Amino acid sequence: MIAKSDTMRRPFGCPPIPCGPRRGGEPSVILGIDVGGTHTDAVCIEDGRIRSYAKTLTGDDLVASVVDAIERLDAACPKVKRVVLSTTLSTNVIVEGKHPPTGVVCSAGPGIDPGTFSVGTCFRHVAGAMDHRGREYIPIDPAEVMDAASTLERAGCQGVAIVSKFSVRNPAHEDAIASLVGSRFRHVCLGHTLSGALNFPRRINTTYLNAAVMPVQERFISAVASAVERLGIQAPLYFLKADGGTYTQDAARRFPVETILSGPAASVMGALALAPSRDASVLVIDIGGTTTDIGVLVGGLPLLDTWGVAIGGLKTLVRGLKVISIGVGGDSCISVEDDGTIAVGPRRDGMPACMGGPSATPMDALVILGEYAGDTARALDAVRALALKAGMDIEPFCRKVIGVMVDAVHGAAKAFMEEINAHPVYTIYEMLHPHVVKPEGVVLVGGPAALLAEYVSRSFGLPCHVPEHAGVANALGAALSRTTAQITLHADTELGVLFCPELGFKAAAPRSMTLEDLRHEGLRLLRENASYLGLEDSAEAQVIQQQAFTMVRGFSTVGANMRVRVQNTPGIIDSWGGLG
Amino acid sequence: MKAKRRTGLIFFPAYDWEISPTHPERKERLLYTQDQVLEEGVLDIEGVYEFKAGVASEQDISRVHFCVPDVPSRITASHNISAGGCIEAARLVLDGVVDNAFALVRPPGHHAMRVVQGARGFCNINIEAVMLEWVRTHYPGVKKIAVVDTDCHHGDGTQDIYWHDPDVLYISIHQDGRTLYPGSGFPSEFGGPKAAGYTINIPLPPLTGDEGILWAVEHVVLPVLEDFGPDLVINSAGQDNHFTDPITNMSFSALGYARLNELLKPHVCVLEGGYSIEGALPYVNTGIILALAGLDYSYVREPDYDPERVRQDPRVTEYIQRLCEQIYDMWRNRSALAPEPRPFYERSRSIFYDTDSITERQHETLAYCTACNGALRIDSRASTGYRILAVHLPRGACSACRSQAREWFDHPGGPYYAVYLQDLDADEFTVKIM
Repeated sequence: MIAKSDTMRRPFGCPPIPCGPRRGGEPSVILGIDVGGTHTDAVCIEDGRIRSYAKTLTGDDLVASVVDAIERLDAACPKVKRVVLSTTLSTNVIVEGKHPPTGVVCSAGPGIDPGTFSVGTCFRHVAGAMDHRGREYIPIDPAEVMDAASTLERAGCQGVAIVSKFSVRNPAHEDAIASLVGSRFRHVCLGHTLSGALNFPRRINTTYLNAAVMPVQERFISAVASAVERLGIQAPLYFLKADGGTYTQDAARRFPVETILSGPAASVMGALALAPSRDASVLVIDIGGTTTDIGVLVGGLPLLDTWGVAIGGLKTLVRGLKVISIGVGGDSCISVEDDGTIAVGPRRDGMPACMGGPSATPMDALVILGEYAGDTARALDAVRALALKAGMDIEPFCRKVIGVMVDAVHGAAKAFMEEINAHPVYTIYEMLHPHVVKPEGVVLVGGPAALLAEYVSRSFGLPCHVPEHAGVANALGAALSRTTAQITLHADTELGVLFCPELGFKAAAPRSMTLEDLRHEGLRLLRENASYLGLEDSAEAQVIQQQAFTMVRGFSTVGANMRVRVQNTPGIIDSWGGLG
Repeated sequence: MKAKRRTGLIFFPAYDWEISPTHPERKERLLYTQDQVLEEGVLDIEGVYEFKAGVASEQDISRVHFCVPDVPSRITASHNISAGGCIEAARLVLDGVVDNAFALVRPPGHHAMRVVQGARGFCNINIEAVMLEWVRTHYPGVKKIAVVDTDCHHGDGTQDIYWHDPDVLYISIHQDGRTLYPGSGFPSEFGGPKAAGYTINIPLPPLTGDEGILWAVEHVVLPVLEDFGPDLVINSAGQDNHFTDPITNMSFSALGYARLNELLKPHVCVLEGGYSIEGALPYVNTGIILALAGLDYSYVREPDYDPERVRQDPRVTEYIQRLCEQIYDMWRNRSALAPEPRPFYERSRSIFYDTDSITERQHETLAYCTACNGALRIDSRASTGYRILAVHLPRGACSACRSQAREWFDHPGGPYYAVYLQDLDADEFTVKIM
């Protein structure tokens, strides 16, 4: 599928991509498998180039689907260096509620009524309160905690989420509850270990979901690991997370909740790998049958959701890509109002008419326009009445339908960008020097992508690039995404405490500590805990957020309150050579 | 959790601005508030939305103030954004995007008067007034406005700006001026000749607690608002009545602030003072947001909250009850407060800009008019050496007053550095450097 005009083949005025491989030595083989709800896509990359790919229907047994997909790739299994999976397993387990009974024990203290945050099989709120600097002002009552655990046990909970307010500043209450009752449950998750971000209700949800999907994920990882080994592959297994990064199977067992909603991440990361320029700011539009997903790459990195993704009605602290989904796709129904207004979607009645479906769809319009090979007679049968109702000839009507569809996507993308750029900022500098995200082009992936490139380019007024292999962008995204992790450090030199919640790391913060010291400490901690966090050895660390406040009480300085966030650089692994 | 009322938040903590590193108005001021609001998950409540602040322009500021010698030399970018945040909050409400909004911005503004020779009480420009004049210019349907100032300090700036304007009712509840900066705000200050009764001051004794402040709200503020029938209600939501505030002496709690806003139901809340940045602001702001959104705030409590500590002395209660009765009587009989008509009313006063250590002498002349609110002339001389003449033409000024203003502007007399003309109907600000 090659886009038609010259400007489309060489978008954004960029030079052609240099050819891989970039590194010498033994040929490296990477397998990427995206187990989606309907299809399982797999891709085999050898020496930085796509060697083969496969698409199969996902069966009930996900492990079998993975094995089937790998076998179809006909890869040189002994040479495989990396296997990356993106699955809907945890997503489905949560959405369908197919996890063992899981309870929550939380200590909140004053604030919003904690009963509002109730989630799971059994939710118990116990005494205990920490303030915003992590100072205890109401202690835990051990007897009450023991009683809460008994209630959870009686409710049949196998897993427990232990969460306290401001535990990312001081985990003492979570730790205390865990040491009192942790041994009574098969799976125990502590809130502060999952994210360093402030947000108590989301911490409860995240910890609960992590505990809930843990057993299922553990079984799946073990089964896949042995199945892959049976295929003669002796490579580490990685999993794709919602933020477009990957992590090791050990980390995936500890933090399974991070794999939820990795589907959009796979496509966006695939688009990044296939984009004509690695550091471009582009919209990634994945046009499917029922929906269209819109994401954005800024300077070659996917834009993340500010707080975290939501799943099954629960808002979490799981970092995920900022994407929106609209109910417009190639198989959406076309409708014409009495006043002649043409609409596409959000209803879908199944296959397009040209493939034997009941209703006229944009795919039928494309068939009629000669853009796509299909049963023209059937397409015409379905479209004719609608064109008549709209008072138009068939061909202009079909062009209009595609226009309406693409304009709907454009409208949504515009609103999406406005929302991104309206993001509140907290300093004068950012207010007066706004960082405006302005996409320079569109990368179009998904089934009907190539057919719509020209329409999209015209509607958006931007160059539109449809990469080769757009159909397996998702598997490619999984295969090529770097391992990522993030840690948060908080130092309060008046209290003399440095704490990194994700690692449960506590140290002294002397009065002399500077922001520079804290940055170094963050980078060191990330490096030294790479394997616990699920990172490859080669991961590069960077500071992504830093703040320092002088603390003044009375009229004298008593210390500094500093915050640093460190991550390793997300993106596409270096050995990928592009499509050449 | 779903808000009963859609509530907009404009949060602008100005993390890169301070008066000085150890000043109460420093970078750290809203840090713990942000931590608390984020940790409570307030921004995830359905119906509570955060919006980006705006930037007020020089024109927006000159609709209210006569900045001497000019706007840029009296303010920093943080003031533009603080006022711009308020404007954005009002816009969201007036456009129906939300039912109410809270501008959690800094620096504050309610001590800034019409003439600005410097900074007073940490304020350079009056952010509520800049917002209100923007509202009146862009939403002419908004005729009557009530500003209820619950900061612990008397909002002498807002009082000054609306002193002659009967369409803006200014009510201030504060710690008695005999015991606290700025030393004003007594019931005898009830507004200018054209607006007698439309400034209401409720000075409360030190150690007034939730009971006393809420008494004043229920027995003065609410009945007066009922009579006045405002199109827009603003709360200048200073948070320094709190029992932990380091520079005041009151005993108000987060629960009290939440209840106050539940009763008042303001369209826009604007943060003013409040310098107990750890012990009060995080909890007070959480309480106010929940109350605005119509949600249960009864579990919000400061770590060191003790009902005994905030309970007020029965003598204080009795004093407040008597005071409130007198003040409400004044409101009901406000027509008796207006002085005998005469062509010009004049007043002279001295104004101290404590933040900048500047002294100003003002001589104000109001052209009394039965057809409009009257043209206003202010002769201002500051210890900085700047002497200026400010001429203000209110909304709806009649042609006689317009000519009077023109006359003052064209023939100022005196050795002025500059003469300014603020014409609200034309939305024009003219400067003549002499």
